[in-house]
Amino acid sequence: MRVLSLAWEYPPHVVGGLGRHVHHLTEALAERGVENTVITFSDGSSQPAETVGSVKVLRVNPYSMRYPDFVSWVHGLNTLITERAKSAGPFDLIHVHDWLTATSGIALKHIYRRPLVATIHSTEIGRRVNLKNETERHIHDLEWWLAYEAWKVICCSNYMEGEVSRNLLCPCGKIAVIPNGFKAISGSGTGTGTGTGTGTGTGAAEAAFDRQKYAREGESIILYVGRLVYEKGPHLIMEAAQRLRRDDLKFIIVGEGPMRTFLRDLAAKLGVNDRVSLLGHVPDSLLSSLYKNAAVAVFPSLYEPFGIVALEAMGYGTPVLASDTGGLGEIVRSGYNGMKFTCGSPDSLATTLSSMVGDGELLGRVSANGRSCLSGYSWSGAAESTLDLYSRVMSEYAAGSWKPRA
Amino acid sequence: MKPIINITWEYPPWVVGAMSQELRRALPPAAKSFPISLVVRGDGDGVTELDGMRVYTVAQSVRDSPHVLAHAHALNIDLLRGACNAYHDAGGAQLIHTHDWVSSLAGAYLSANTGVPLAVSIYTTEVQRAGGLPSLFSMAIFDIERYCLSKAKWVIAVNEVAALRLTKDYAVPPSRLIPCKGSLATAYKRMGVSR
Repeated sequence: MRVLSLAWEYPPHVVGGLGRHVHHLTEALAERGVENTVITFSDGSSQPAETVGSVKVLRVNPYSMRYPDFVSWVHGLNTLITERAKSAGPFDLIHVHDWLTATSGIALKHIYRRPLVATIHSTEIGRRVNLKNETERHIHDLEWWLAYEAWKVICCSNYMEGEVSRNLLCPCGKIAVIPNGFKAISGSGTGTGTGTGTGTGTGAAEAAFDRQKYAREGESIILYVGRLVYEKGPHLIMEAAQRLRRDDLKFIIVGEGPMRTFLRDLAAKLGVNDRVSLLGHVPDSLLSSLYKNAAVAVFPSLYEPFGIVALEAMGYGTPVLASDTGGLGEIVRSGYNGMKFTCGSPDSLATTLSSMVGDGELLGRVSANGRSCLSGYSWSGAAESTLDLYSRVMSEYAAGSWKPRA
Repeated sequence: MKPIINITWEYPPWVVGAMSQELRRALPPAAKSFPISLVVRGDGDGVTELDGMRVYTVAQSVRDSPHVLAHAHALNIDLLRGACNAYHDAGGAQLIHTHDWVSSLAGAYLSANTGVPLAVSIYTTEVQRAGGLPSLFSMAIFDIERYCLSKAKWVIAVNEVAALRLTKDYAVPPSRLIPCKGSLATAYKRMGVSR
């Protein structure tokens, strides 16, 4: 089977989790005999065409044109992707990831009359809560259009299936739930995947970890890893820290984002700045050490389509406390492989965290079960399910009359 | 005989501005000599016969856009859908002919992926309309015009002012420029399109 994958990010150009998702999935599909060509973005610093592993990668550079804003930039990128598809060679099926490559996928579907599969990683309504302006409504319309034109839509969690069905009016029969995989990238733990580390570091650096730089003796490290954006809920940690009034807990915040200054000011305002450290991006080796030394990893997301950070923490054996929302709520089973608190409630977060920290038996149990549940999230499993979906789409396509005639 | 696929964002009764009237004057006479399929934004997706042409209407898929650029990009994917139906229904096309930048991306996409030559008619350019390139918006539209013109085998200047601006501002070589002094049928004949 020959698949043309369209994604706005792919290594070495990685913005968030989408690029890594497409990278791991296409590699795992290639191991199963799928000929994958990815058309993606380049800023001019990467090769316009190369084969990475078994995946053919074609890149287009949108900076050959000028744009007044991000939406226009995305449309320009899609213009160049559509033109570049001719050089990809023949393909049986098109696979688009999110609205960012929706229009090129829709264009190529109609030009070549080939089936279109779309993975919708998140939605604009979910990210923004409400659609407040024309740009957000435009992106929402593109998401609806992609779901409408797609033969099948892939979502990473049951939560996202509901969101795509409800917000994009996509029939449930068109949606397949295929959880993301989880891949280890360092020898210091089971893996990382959040993009909050810098990708540097060595085992020696990890061995040199000085715990006292981050927490005093007797203090338990409560670790947050993620982007500092509202939807990830880092402000709830500050509010919970204030409610707890415990001197034996040290909150370590790893990650960057537009909320950093706000969070620093909030910690001062709430009087918890001596109990909270904002570290920004950290090397993988330090991140690994922090995970291993943390009593609990907290993920207070308000919106989380999947929640790969929870798997990352489980890989290190760190007990997880997550908000009961989205994909996080599906990964974590309270009392089994972690604990959950009421989404958006700093009181619930504070109470649950306080009860966890003092319960050694609970921490040991959720840590062990967390590690063991990782086997359910592999890229090989995701590729098997995706390949099965491709096969079903192609047999339905073969039985139909919608074919190229030219 | 494979058709000439004309792509436009307006043709009566779907009117935006003056271009629809110009096309109403130019296309039906040409359709007497050449097979023409017309793709136009309409009230819904459909196929009909009008003025001697097979007309493919397309509905707009996107309702909200922050500005005309985003609107035009999305509209061109809708126009492309109609053009692809015209292309596959006829088993191919002799020529893809677009009208100004607002419909030329659709033609460029289809031409790039099928090898069917592209002709772009220019009525006015962004440099003319905006009196230069005073904003990033104008520059972005100028870049789209330039991109589409670079993909065209022929550029039809609908008037002498446009012909002058195309050579001066967009560096369109005279060998690709067809001044449309006579009828559209004459221009098609010059391009070697079969009747």
